[in-house]
Amino acid sequence: MAAVRPTTYTDEVVYTDEVAEFSPEVVEEMRSHLAKYPPERSRSALIPLLFVIQRERGWVDNPGVNFLANFLNLEVTDVWETATFYSMFNLHKVGRHHIQICKTLSCKIMGEPGITEHVCSKLGIHPGETTEDGKYTVSLVECLGSCGTAPMMQIGFDYHEDLTTEKVDKILDSLK
Amino acid sequence: MEIKAIGCEPLQLKRMHIENGHTLKVYRETGGYVSLKKALEMSPDDIIQTVKDSSLRGRGGAGFPTGMKWSFVPKDSPKSKYVVCNADESEPGSFKDRYLLERDPHALIEGMIIAGYTLGASTGYIYYRGEYNYLIAVMDRALTEAREAGLLGENILGTGFSMNIHTHTGAGAYICGEETALLSSLEGFRGHPRMKPPFPAVEGLYASPTVVNNVETFTSVPQIIEMGGTAWRDLGTEKSGGTKLWSISGHVKKPGVYELPMGYTDMEKFIMEDCGGMLRDDKKLKAVIPGGSSVYIMNAGQILGKGVTLDYEGLVEAGSMLGTGGMMVMDETVDVMETTMNLSEFYKHESCGWCTPCREGTDWMVKIFHRIAAGNGKPGDAQLLLDICDNIEGKSFCPLGDAAAWPVQSAIRQFPDDFMKWLDKKTNGSITANV
Amino acid sequence: MSTELVKITLNGVEVEAEKGSVLIDVCRDNGEHIPSFCYYKDLDPQASCRMCLVRIDKMPKLQTSCTIKVTDGMAVTTRSPEIEKAQRSMGEFLLANHPLDCPVCDRGGECELQEVIFDWGDVEERFTEKKNVDPEKYLSPIVANDPQRCILCKRCTRVCDEWMGEDAIEAGNRGVNTVIGTYGGWLNCSQCGNCIEVCPTGTLLDGVYRHATRPWELDQTITTDVYSSDGMQLSIGSRGGEVHRIVARDRYVNGLNGEFLDVKARFAHEFINHRDRVKTPMIRYSKGGKLIPATWDAALELISQKFGDSSGVVASPRLTNEALFTLRKFAEATGSSLAVSDRGDMSAFFANMTAPLATHRDIRYAKTIIIIGGEPEEEQSFTAKQVRQAVRNGGAKLIIVNDTPINLKAQAAKFVHIAPGSYDAFALAFADGSDVSGKLGVDAAEIGAVRDAITAAQGDVVIMVGNDLSPAAQAVIAASAGGFAGDGRRVLLHPLPLYNNSVGAIDILPNARQIDEVIASAKALLIAGSLQDASALAGKDFVVVQELFLTDTTEHADVVLPAASFAEVDGTFTNNAGNVQRVRRAIEPVHQSKPDWLITGGIAASLGVDLELESSASAIFRALADTVAVYEGLRYPALKDESEPVQAKHAVNESVDVTSAVNDLRTSTDSLPENAEKITDTPVIGHKLHRLTTMTSKTPQFHLLANGNPKPANLLVSPLVQFDADGKPKEEGFEEAAAVGIGDRILVNITR
Ligand SMILES: Cc1cc2nc3c(=O)[nH]c(=O)nc-3n(C[C@H](O)[C@H](O)[C@H](O)COP(=O)(O)O)c2cc1C
Ligand code: SF4
Ligand code: FES
Repeated sequence: MAAVRPTTYTDEVVYTDEVAEFSPEVVEEMRSHLAKYPPERSRSALIPLLFVIQRERGWVDNPGVNFLANFLNLEVTDVWETATFYSMFNLHKVGRHHIQICKTLSCKIMGEPGITEHVCSKLGIHPGETTEDGKYTVSLVECLGSCGTAPMMQIGFDYHEDLTTEKVDKILDSLK
Repeated sequence: MEIKAIGCEPLQLKRMHIENGHTLKVYRETGGYVSLKKALEMSPDDIIQTVKDSSLRGRGGAGFPTGMKWSFVPKDSPKSKYVVCNADESEPGSFKDRYLLERDPHALIEGMIIAGYTLGASTGYIYYRGEYNYLIAVMDRALTEAREAGLLGENILGTGFSMNIHTHTGAGAYICGEETALLSSLEGFRGHPRMKPPFPAVEGLYASPTVVNNVETFTSVPQIIEMGGTAWRDLGTEKSGGTKLWSISGHVKKPGVYELPMGYTDMEKFIMEDCGGMLRDDKKLKAVIPGGSSVYIMNAGQILGKGVTLDYEGLVEAGSMLGTGGMMVMDETVDVMETTMNLSEFYKHESCGWCTPCREGTDWMVKIFHRIAAGNGKPGDAQLLLDICDNIEGKSFCPLGDAAAWPVQSAIRQFPDDFMKWLDKKTNGSITANV
Repeated sequence: MSTELVKITLNGVEVEAEKGSVLIDVCRDNGEHIPSFCYYKDLDPQASCRMCLVRIDKMPKLQTSCTIKVTDGMAVTTRSPEIEKAQRSMGEFLLANHPLDCPVCDRGGECELQEVIFDWGDVEERFTEKKNVDPEKYLSPIVANDPQRCILCKRCTRVCDEWMGEDAIEAGNRGVNTVIGTYGGWLNCSQCGNCIEVCPTGTLLDGVYRHATRPWELDQTITTDVYSSDGMQLSIGSRGGEVHRIVARDRYVNGLNGEFLDVKARFAHEFINHRDRVKTPMIRYSKGGKLIPATWDAALELISQKFGDSSGVVASPRLTNEALFTLRKFAEATGSSLAVSDRGDMSAFFANMTAPLATHRDIRYAKTIIIIGGEPEEEQSFTAKQVRQAVRNGGAKLIIVNDTPINLKAQAAKFVHIAPGSYDAFALAFADGSDVSGKLGVDAAEIGAVRDAITAAQGDVVIMVGNDLSPAAQAVIAASAGGFAGDGRRVLLHPLPLYNNSVGAIDILPNARQIDEVIASAKALLIAGSLQDASALAGKDFVVVQELFLTDTTEHADVVLPAASFAEVDGTFTNNAGNVQRVRRAIEPVHQSKPDWLITGGIAASLGVDLELESSASAIFRALADTVAVYEGLRYPALKDESEPVQAKHAVNESVDVTSAVNDLRTSTDSLPENAEKITDTPVIGHKLHRLTTMTSKTPQFHLLANGNPKPANLLVSPLVQFDADGKPKEEGFEEAAAVGIGDRILVNITR
């Protein structure tokens, strides 16, 4: 029987019992991740599967967490403890295009501040914010392993390196 | 960006500029999987001896002798054993593994199979940092090719040895580069480091014997098998064998990935000539972090005219460390207080939060830096920062705490002026912080 | 752990220590004070607080003494300027983001962080930056959480996982943002409150007790839990005749359970001072009339007139040994028949034991554990915790034989899933290898494997028997246990009875008869406590009930006498390990209530019967010990120290003849269906916790109640709902309860 959960305990997550549903292809993909690990170690697939949830649902939402907990036979709190540790999982809604600008040392000294300024003024938001139409979120992130081609940013999983303001314009314009 | 070998034949970088170097076909045409065949005819003990002879030290940063690590794996354990490749590459300043993973995936696969055969492991995992997601597809394709060619899976090359390798992804956590945190993460948990002992070689993934090595470490293995241990070692020095990849970034004309023989002389020549010298000709060299953000920062005086050799011993002698070989070069426009603050923010963000000194110390330091940058520095702040570093160093659960302390300690010692001008009430009003 | 001794040098002095023991313990045993927060003896080490740093010769850095096992010749320094600086700096780090609100903190005076810092005295405050803030919240109606005070020692998450096996509370986020919490912010668990108990600071707090009083204003009385048969030791905090809280903090108590308690033991104490307690004697002057308050004299006077021949006595297994013994003497002196109002009687187990009883410590360090029937995580929560730790921390092999896939199965190396209610068949197969696989729904080889697991075992084997087994099954298993003992293998027995003093009742009332018989044959009845089914009392001539509350049973009573609760009396309970433990008076009996033994004694006096007992709990116990062989020689002074529980001398037989029990088993096995459908659902932890064990004769009806509203003011631990044996609330309010979302879990607030 479902647990009784008041929704007034915290403003972090409004808990529901809704469980996300996925197409057979996506479930198949999830199973292919599971197949990499010994059967009794299915928890190993948690991080790869969280990425699938995030891709399919836009962020790691409550129904997605419920699905994973059922799928891997875990408690929702087990999913939560892992998901919140890693900076790439969004437990809050983000824009369709998540623009992540590297702010660590090499990028910093090679011009990150100017790039950030440019991106933000173009989109009219500050780092950490999402545009009103829900299209873009800008984040400053730590080193992405592109120091030799600094400054750089990552949009979704795509690397954009050796950035100049002109290049940024082109990239942003190409986003749908 | 440059990718090239200097002072030696390209070994690690052999296929970087060959078209389709990432495919099995080209890999084989350029000598690939010959070492595997050779290794499978050797006894595991002979392989370990060969690796020991090569004096290969782990390329992930800690520099632990690889042959010795392999010999710690218990031979008679009834548990399954695992080989894990650390492709988490998150150290600021380091980006060499990325190119190996992208352009020479089979070299890693070959190295891992040889390790698996040597240690009796039938499963391998490659743990990618989450941001390198796009590289996983490259590797998955290479793994499929290898499987189809009978190089992976059941009964490899008809020798009766079976092994499989899978890719696995992290999700944004520098600490998961630390090998025990990596294993926690690979098991689906928070990326907290684990207590050592027991070491992974005895109790690692799923509490089974596990060897964790860096990408570059594994890709060195086929070369060592092919050339023989001592021949490979002799490319470098007695204690630091072979060649090493360096990631160069910052204020140089030709940043990139360079392969140098160990013991390359000297650091000044490398920066000033091989890497094209300072980005802006009129700006002088001010500081270099030679081995990734977690090592001591050096001032120009420690480098110029000092004949610093690029190997483990040479850099220690010069007052820093080799680390991952992620060299960050800074010219005189840089304010070291600010760059140190930048790194402190990194360590605060990446502290896993397990132990007190690292969790609270990094937060405290960042708060002090931010206050200083806001123009509210106090003369005692430098001393306070040094003392906080002292209270973290050597007392944290894992080496990340030390890594957070060292840049700050060395920056204050090597660049006292950059700090004092912020802390000196008379001048700090006139400086605008770039934050 | 080996008992081999090694020599180490501690601050220049050579001391001896058990090989393999943990350095921090050795230092402390030798009087060296070492601060620590994350170290907790009974949990996996985590070495995160870094407080316990010491120097060990030949080691490069300072080492955490909580992770070092002592080895011969080790040289350790625990006091030096270097070490003091390191430890103080950890204290400074912990205080950096910790609010300095001790004066308003509920843990003030009991906080380990405060204690360590105060011990140092002169702490310079160098942290002048802004502290991180995080709002206070409730994780459940009874667990309050102030995250800013958290030092991330993670004792809470570890007890939740290692002790309870529940994993309900975890760490989230990373680095300095790490918080202890849950997904959705709601603690979805059995609400045991152990996380509160082990929290060294004021982060996790008892939401019921919160802001009620300051801890140092409470009188602490060490006593024994009144719910489960584990006999957990606890401390009642009271002030001005009122019980405010119950804890097991080992600074007050050092009992067999350490800091472990469960939800009932810890939180279900509001019944003690509840407004619905029976306050005065009450008389029903005519059948069908109302109970009217009366004086003690009037009540006893009426009893002396009406309590006549052919009488019966019913005793609750929740009463103290002293009360039970007084009832026995009363029955003997008045020629009354006697019964125990118990379900799941385990006297057949005790009568046929061929191996000694296991202590809870034995269970924790056992190498093989077999649990036949029962559901310890619901009914004997401390036993369950010991089992879980034996497996998780001690590598024990656990075999579970049950008709339901109970939660402990997660820890089991082997789960023998038998057909519903086929324990008799299992007992038969276990004892003599009979092939009853069709009835059990389990291959004969599997039963053989259980026997083989015992005969192949090294170290202690503990065989646990649930109270849901029939007397014949209990007898046969208890009788066969001894035969499994062998070289390097001790076999121990552990019963899983339901009530806090089930074992005392078995010991003291060996001649008790079946309750139906006693009620049917008696015209007048004295009932101490209440009955599961009071309907048989209809039409009785005269019924006297000693009770705390008005219940179904008192509806048939002609006289109700107000009894004192366990918090108001002195006495003893005997737990499932045979430990005889003290119950101590924490507050005066409320209103006009009296201890049960005193009430029974008063009735006897009014009838002119001499029970030959002095009027004090200790004197009654002495008389009891002189009469009941199992308690021979025991006296209160010998029971003083709760850290050294005393085991009663339960007879261990060489061998017993169980032929007739085996015949009974054959008959009942024959009547079992073949290949019955199995129970496949794992019950949620807590499904019985809140009902069966609390629903009992003595305190039949109270229950943890909450209506899902997080405010503690809306939480009631009160006698508002009565329950049937199957766990359904009896009261009409149930529909209302269901509407608010009554689950198998914490129930609902139905205010009258
Ligand atoms: C905080 C921290 C981060 C690390 N990050 C990495 C990394 O990103 N990649 C890597 O290969 N090793 C990293 N290491 C080193 C690993 O712990 C480990 O030593 C290495 O993977 C072993 O492989 P090797 O012997 O081949 O170097 C890190 C260590 C620490 C303490
Ligand atoms: S972490 Fe710390 S106190 Fe905690 S046990 Fe260890 S070192 Fe000791
Ligand atoms: S510092 Fe920006 S990618 Fe490394």
